[in-house]
Amino acid sequence: MAGATNVHRSIVTTEAPWVRYTLTAIALLLIGLFLVVPLFTVFYEALKKGWALYFEAMIEPDALSAIKLTLIAAAISVPLNLVFGVAAAWAIAKFDFRGKSVLITLIDLPFAVSPVVAGLIYVLMFGAQGWWGPWLMDHDIKIIFAIPGIVLATVFVTFPFIARELIPLMEAQGSEEEQAAMTLGASGFQTFWRVTLPNIKWGLLYGVILANARAMGEFGAVSVVSGHIRGETNTLPLHVEILYNEYNFVGAFACASLLALLALVTLAAKSFVEWRAEQQEAAARRDAVE
Amino acid sequence: MSIEIKNISKQFGDFKALDNINLEVASGELLALLGPSGCGKTSLLRVIAGLETPDNGQILFHGEDTTDTHVRERQVGFVFQHYALFRHMTVFENVAFGLRVRPKKTRPSDAEIRKKVHRLLELVQLDWLADRFPAQLSGGQRQRIALARALAVEPRVLLLDEPFGALDTKVRKELRRWLRRLHDEIHVTSVFVTHDQEEALEVADRVVVMNKGQIEQIGTPSQVYDTPASPFVYQFLGDINLFHSRVHDGWAEVAGARIAATDSPDAAKATIYVRPHEIDLSRVASEAAIAGKITHVRLLGSTVRLEVDVADHDAVEVELTRERYAEGEWKVGEAVWLNPRDAKVYTGL
Repeated sequence: MAGATNVHRSIVTTEAPWVRYTLTAIALLLIGLFLVVPLFTVFYEALKKGWALYFEAMIEPDALSAIKLTLIAAAISVPLNLVFGVAAAWAIAKFDFRGKSVLITLIDLPFAVSPVVAGLIYVLMFGAQGWWGPWLMDHDIKIIFAIPGIVLATVFVTFPFIARELIPLMEAQGSEEEQAAMTLGASGFQTFWRVTLPNIKWGLLYGVILANARAMGEFGAVSVVSGHIRGETNTLPLHVEILYNEYNFVGAFACASLLALLALVTLAAKSFVEWRAEQQEAAARRDAVE
Repeated sequence: MSIEIKNISKQFGDFKALDNINLEVASGELLALLGPSGCGKTSLLRVIAGLETPDNGQILFHGEDTTDTHVRERQVGFVFQHYALFRHMTVFENVAFGLRVRPKKTRPSDAEIRKKVHRLLELVQLDWLADRFPAQLSGGQRQRIALARALAVEPRVLLLDEPFGALDTKVRKELRRWLRRLHDEIHVTSVFVTHDQEEALEVADRVVVMNKGQIEQIGTPSQVYDTPASPFVYQFLGDINLFHSRVHDGWAEVAGARIAATDSPDAAKATIYVRPHEIDLSRVASEAAIAGKITHVRLLGSTVRLEVDVADHDAVEVELTRERYAEGEWKVGEAVWLNPRDAKVYTGL
């Protein structure tokens, strides 16, 4: 059986060599110009004045607090989305109910809405002049310009990632295995834990990686609700912007390089997960007698 | 364990899948639900299993009402058309699943599970595949594993939904004989769904022919084949030739030939069915013979099919054995007389 790298292409779907090379060259040029050079610049600028200044910029208290807040936001929003994403995908893929298409559209909403608008929604609801602002103030609960607002905004923008990843996967798998488990006496929880979850684990991991990357990198929505209080409500992306506006280029690029590193790690993890999932599928196919 | 199905109805939107079904399955019996797709046979099976809830009616297992018992507690073994094996578990774990998910109190020990699973794998003759994954098995092997998995929970009844539907013809034939032998060995009350009349007639103790959500006939394979209760059963259980005519004095006329239609009211519209292999060919005219002309001859393995044009009617198919065909030396273009050995006349349709 031919491997994934050794696919035979029909002559009718191939182009002349010069077309192929030109297209490849254009693609490589664009990738170099817009992806590789900027990434290189980030690290170059960050390290321009030496490693000492680079590390100093990162262990400075405001930077550390920004890193901490970013990690907190991700640590809360990713598990929340995990639970929601699995529940929503389970409901949509395995059951038929009225309003299913409305739910699918709603899940996509955060992709369609500009992040700034998403942030504004929360300001309008929970801000001092917002709907529940006075009530919240009376009870001394701070949401906007505080950590809860940042978490809410992050949850909103990362909402679709896991559900979107799982819905097509679960729909393709159907529900026959779950039915089989039920006839064998498994409870709902046992069915989910022993049958459904193992079947979707790679898709789930993939969704978690993407959601995490977005949660840590989100700028727009968080910027609106954060209030930019240094050392308190600044996430890493916001901290980068502040440093840059203060002409502290080394600091800005040092923190930016952290985000860039995060992106690279995410990409590597994502590729690994894809590779593992493919490997397993290929192994299953290769061994199939039929 | 006997199954009693009382006044079961089930509707999907505007579609009436099951229309007041009454049926009894005797203990230890192997029963086939036979019918075209969309006739409700799978819905009925799923209602018996508890995978669908009926709109009306009752399901009784051994006299005990199980209509509202959840599928989890109903203790049925269900075998799916596309196997539905757990793809991430080995064959062993698939078969062990039903034992492992039991509550702690009734769960057998690991050693007992191992023993039982291996005994079941031996029963389906696939003990050597215990460590494989479902994707590594052939279709026939997968279905046998699915059967072992269903039997592991010691089901009160075994339900099989088109168990051989996804297999190729040769494997299908082997497997259905194997299923019959297995059933003779373990004697669990079984119901299986099929759209293949040959399969139903060969394997089942009794056949239930269904159409449009209703039961057309219940009987042993020879009863439903030899004395079909309705035109539908007649045409579903084999190839047919169909003639339209009217009854006069106990006879129906087809292209000059007279076919006995005793008991039929005079001037009634008659539909006459004749099976292709129940027609004799002759070069001599007679009162009961239909005149025609051979237009095509097709060799189909052990039999030969001839297409005969008959005036004012659709072309008639005649099936002869190889020997009869050779003896008669029939040629395309030849004028012949068709003698139906057996014809069913239905009036009032």
